[in-house]
Amino acid sequence: MLVTWKYRPRDTFIQSLDPRARLTFMACVILAITATDVWDARLLLPVFAISMVLYFMARIEWRDVRRAWIFILVFILFIIGLNALLGGRGGPLSVLQDDSSVLYALSIPIPLTPWRINLTVTVVRSFFALVQMMRMITMAALAIPIPYTIDPSIYGVTFRRMGASDKLSFTMDLAFRFVPTLGRDFMITMDAQRARGYELESVRGGLIQRLRRLAPLLVPVTMQAIVNGEEVIDAMDLRAFGARRRTWLRELHLRQRDYWFMALGVIILVIMMTARILGYGEFWVPGFWYRLVGT
Amino acid sequence: MKSKSMWSFGTREVVYGAIGAALYGILSWASNFVPLPAAGNISFRPAIAVMVFFGSAFGPWVGLLTGLLGNTLGDALTGWGLYWNWSVGNGLIGLVAGLAVNLIKNYRSGRDIGIGVGYGILGNAVGLLFASLTEIFVGGIDLNTALVGYFTPAFLGNSVVTIILLPILLVAYAAVAARRGR
Amino acid sequence: MSDQPVLQVINLSFRYHSRPDIAIEQISFDLQPGEMLLVAGASGCGKTTLARCINGLIPRSYHGDRSGSVLVKGREVSQMSLVEVAQQVGTLLQDPERQIVSSYVVGEIAFGLENLGLPREEIYRRMDEVFDRLNLNHLRERETFTLSGGEKQKVALAGVLVMRPAVLLLDEPLASLDPASAHEAIQIFRSLADEGTAIILIEHRVEDALQARPDRLLYMENGRMCYLGAVDTFPKELNYHAVKLPAPWVVQRVMQEKKPSLMTVLPQPANPQAEKLVSFKNVSFAYGDGPEVLHNINLDIRQGDLIAVLGPNGAGKSTLVKHAIGLLKPTRGEVLIKGVDSREQSVAQIARSIGYVFQSPTHMLFAPTVREEVAFGPENLKFDKQDIQRNVTESLSVVNLVGMEGYPPLGLSFGQQKRTTIAAVLAMRSEIMVLDEPTAGQDYANYTRFMDMLCRAQDGEGRSLLTANFKATLFITHDLDLAVTYANRILLISEGRLVADGSPESVLRDFTLLESCRVRPTSLLRMNLELLPKTGHFLPAEALAPYFSDAYSKSNHSISAGL
Repeated sequence: MLVTWKYRPRDTFIQSLDPRARLTFMACVILAITATDVWDARLLLPVFAISMVLYFMARIEWRDVRRAWIFILVFILFIIGLNALLGGRGGPLSVLQDDSSVLYALSIPIPLTPWRINLTVTVVRSFFALVQMMRMITMAALAIPIPYTIDPSIYGVTFRRMGASDKLSFTMDLAFRFVPTLGRDFMITMDAQRARGYELESVRGGLIQRLRRLAPLLVPVTMQAIVNGEEVIDAMDLRAFGARRRTWLRELHLRQRDYWFMALGVIILVIMMTARILGYGEFWVPGFWYRLVGT
Repeated sequence: MKSKSMWSFGTREVVYGAIGAALYGILSWASNFVPLPAAGNISFRPAIAVMVFFGSAFGPWVGLLTGLLGNTLGDALTGWGLYWNWSVGNGLIGLVAGLAVNLIKNYRSGRDIGIGVGYGILGNAVGLLFASLTEIFVGGIDLNTALVGYFTPAFLGNSVVTIILLPILLVAYAAVAARRGR
Repeated sequence: MSDQPVLQVINLSFRYHSRPDIAIEQISFDLQPGEMLLVAGASGCGKTTLARCINGLIPRSYHGDRSGSVLVKGREVSQMSLVEVAQQVGTLLQDPERQIVSSYVVGEIAFGLENLGLPREEIYRRMDEVFDRLNLNHLRERETFTLSGGEKQKVALAGVLVMRPAVLLLDEPLASLDPASAHEAIQIFRSLADEGTAIILIEHRVEDALQARPDRLLYMENGRMCYLGAVDTFPKELNYHAVKLPAPWVVQRVMQEKKPSLMTVLPQPANPQAEKLVSFKNVSFAYGDGPEVLHNINLDIRQGDLIAVLGPNGAGKSTLVKHAIGLLKPTRGEVLIKGVDSREQSVAQIARSIGYVFQSPTHMLFAPTVREEVAFGPENLKFDKQDIQRNVTESLSVVNLVGMEGYPPLGLSFGQQKRTTIAAVLAMRSEIMVLDEPTAGQDYANYTRFMDMLCRAQDGEGRSLLTANFKATLFITHDLDLAVTYANRILLISEGRLVADGSPESVLRDFTLLESCRVRPTSLLRMNLELLPKTGHFLPAEALAPYFSDAYSKSNHSISAGL
């Protein structure tokens, strides 16, 4: 089993963009939907739509992302369910002062305690859950494609061009350099210990025993990497690493499309902020939702 | 030999930060293939012990880079995506764990190992609290949900891993460090 | 050639703060442009410390007391900046795996120039030159991880040459290469010297290094210079136990010393009728959907076999051996271990029959003490507590580690670690021992000692550690002399095929076959083949001396003919 990156070269608009433009866009959108505290579905829906369109424009094979999406969706449902169970606070004030009709109510006693868990689903809360989900999926749709569509080899220079220091940026490149090597070392250690009768699958005993049984894998891989690191330090010092301001051979170019893309991100942010300043963006339940779910 | 200041940042920190990050990324990724113990929704990620160890052995910068870049690499390898808040949170874990670097003089002494574990758990509290609280803004969840849904399971799992595996790594490193020539 | 030496080392001494003993003492020599100096000595002789003084790591990264001076083009190295030293002294470290810091070939070669902050055009111009000079253009777009060992080293060398150093320091550059790649590397070093670069070649494999035709030889022992001078005659200061010399030199020395030759115990010839332990039947293998890497292998490992598996890197030697221990299962055909198909056994079950010692001890050592490390295998195999204790004690005494039970394996010397791994396998009481590159990472003196420990007779019945404890042994190696000296059967692997299987005397006489498998005949092999009618079987160099008549020793040329 070889460690492989998720990145594939693809002839798509998304991958023709400068990574700086994409990260800037992503930062704008994250700020726009979190820091501004906008909960109005009419404002959030266009952002959700844009992020889904961008996701599909990335043309990532479903087979590759299926696991990630399933994991993330299950987790989103878990968190939203938990939030409802724990009283459903959080979010805007209107959700708290909710006197809309109750759709479903459940009260479970917690065994051996005087407390009860109350789950009350109202019209307002049910729509709030939907908006929560929309926001979280917007974020996921922006986050998931990154490893599939940005070439790992340009993370370092991207950091550098976004203002990080030479040393910090090169650390990222060096980490990428070590990943396949350490991945191979990990597999060799696994084989070496299996040849000594070690079986991960048949580990018995309690939690502590089972965690301790990982030592034969963790220790050799970690210690060997550290010992080899001493020579890597020498190799870098001997070629004057850190002595001067570095040239980065790899160039990044912002083109017109990159500026347009960043502008889109900034526009989204400005619209959200302006809306908030002008008093729009509060949580809002559309009339049809009352008719649709209301009894 | 320990450097004078734990905040110096030279080639050594770059190399060990990169090695730590690569290891953290690979081990996070390998957790998907290796059967690991789990209890309820608490998962035990051995990679955490390696990150805390890199902090304890090489200082706060290396801890920070290991967590920050390592989490990013791990999510890139598994294909989960890019989540800045969890990367920063992991970086904080390593950074706080790394504050113990000059307090740990003998990697075999119970007291020094205890200090390392203590800072590791403190780091987990700080880093995971940061990441969990940012989720409030993202999902519009309340504090309780953030604490119960995100913070508590991760904190418990990471603490158990730190308590059990960090001492093993520190003791192993004692032998390696003694062989070093500088 | 100018008269001004490019490098002057004057009365150089150094002691590390972290160690009690002095590392090097009173070293002095000059190096002219275009001159190649071979520095030889056993590990611990101070050659690494000398290298660190020349490239400025001492006093910059390694601290200690230094006296004397190192002048590059007349300037003291310890007073030059990192940027200046980097452009005067280029260092190629022993393992290119650790020298390479970029994921891409282009990034690796540009690394030093990027650090100097040169303009992009200048970097590209210098890179083009180096790509042409070393014929690396075909590697330009490659990722460094996917390169072969030889390619990695050339790329690492390119990353050093691109900085245009006046002095090139090569630290054991042949250690991680297979013989064919090593030969290629040596020719590159020679041509670089011919073009005017001063080269310091640090190598304990003197026989191989001599092919680069060094101008002078510096031989060191215990931090001191023992010999500095020409190499065309064999200097008497050189210890043939410490460094690997050409076989004719060793013979010459043994004859001069007139010492009785060592009583060598030869491996018993393999018996093709002995009990079958492992059988490969039409074994082919491919990783996943990838191309087939083993093609139709048929062979039996029998009791009494001492097998050397020879072949270049990437030929499939490790893949073949991993089938024997069940880490890989054939895609076609079958592997029978004691008559049972490997597919029906877990690796742990097979481990009871076959013990595997991996190349690098650090890939497997993890326990806090040697005792726990050695007990790990038997515990996994669920031996009784008493048996485990007895096995551990016995195994440690066999490999001379008694008294070390409580030490942490990770703190031991490389040789001791290697012995710990052997003990770990011994304690499992397997019937077959498999060793992957048993000599890798050790210098000549250490690996000879290690191989002697395994293969030389220890008890009154003339049994060695291996023959007394295992029914058969199999080792993978690049080192042809190891096969000549210690094996009774040779498997020659090339491109996933078993191209020859037989006694050393029969397989290794076919030079055309060897060359086609990228195995280079050595002086020891040539000499053995020459003397085979008298000796009857292959012998180590020391044991060949008595077969030369006095008449032979007087006419020096016939002995050195083997060179």
